Amino acid sequence: MHKVADIDVHHNIMKANKKIADRIKKNFENHNIFSVDFVGAIGSGKTSLIEELIQKMDGKIAVIAGDVISKFDAGRFKRHNVPVVGLNTGKECHLDAHLIEHALDDIPLNDVDYIFIENVGNLICPVDFDLGTHMRIVVVSVSEGDDTVEKHPLIFQDSDLAIINKVDIAEAVEADADKMVNDAKILNPNIQIIKTSLKNNQGLNEVISAIEEFKSN
Amino acid sequence: MHEMAMADSILKAVIENAENNQAIEVIDVVVEFGQLALLNPEQVKFMLDVLSEDTIAKGAKFIIESIPIEIKCKKCSFEGTIDGSSLDHYAPIVKCPKCDAYPVDVLNGKDVIVKKISIEKED
Repeated sequence: MHKVADIDVHHNIMKANKKIADRIKKNFENHNIFSVDFVGAIGSGKTSLIEELIQKMDGKIAVIAGDVISKFDAGRFKRHNVPVVGLNTGKECHLDAHLIEHALDDIPLNDVDYIFIENVGNLICPVDFDLGTHMRIVVVSVSEGDDTVEKHPLIFQDSDLAIINKVDIAEAVEADADKMVNDAKILNPNIQIIKTSLKNNQGLNEVISAIEEFKSN
Repeated sequence: MHEMAMADSILKAVIENAENNQAIEVIDVVVEFGQLALLNPEQVKFMLDVLSEDTIAKGAKFIIESIPIEIKCKKCSFEGTIDGSSLDHYAPIVKCPKCDAYPVDVLNGKDVIVKKISIEKED
């Protein structure tokens, strides 16, 4: 004879991620590291932005590059002689805290000031996966269409800085960069917004100041 | 879009709890999805069926219940539940039902919880 039993499980999948994220944040703080999660769609300019920051910011930067095939972006960062960990996410659409905790094993934490995490190109899935970072920056390019911000409210509500990138080509792709700025402000009045063109070096100093200011607060 | 990862995490929790309770079979599983969890229940169910092959949970019935969205408006301080059933799971737009403002704190509705399992065990 077999018997049937009901078991109360109450296992919260999201809290399991949050628990690891809290542990990661503590680890960053113990090493006096400021960390940033860069989110944005494929081709929005996340990799190029981080490359520029590596070259222009004071302080030692390490990068965790998450991608479906991480060797491409990780290879770009390695050329700048900074510690890089590539995370192959394969078919997964976001990074989670568990992956980041493992990646930290390969970073000389005593020897870096910043850890920049490049999330997988996606404006939806990373939203609820806290990685334990201090700051989240969302990068959106005008070439994605000027309705991209209003179509992805959660990521803008959950980010500290929005970068409207590639504004130099806004006219060519018939996108209104100011509409994107306004949409982000409506969704999140507290978000800081900077228009950039990495090609023309526009807005980069403001981005650096914003990160430094966020770090000091 | 991260249905596969979610299904995998759910199944791991189910199997762990089943085994800890000396189950020989999992009969059904109740999982709660927050209406803001950005998940398509039908896709998750399909993946649970596929992933549970060759496990103790093979053939289990997966029942998905919905956790309503609770918000607090940052503008007018309205606090309460909003109807998430009409929201598109892909990119739900949450705003205050009272004053229509977007900046809201989500108090509930983002979690994914394995609530309970029914198992069969030897006497």
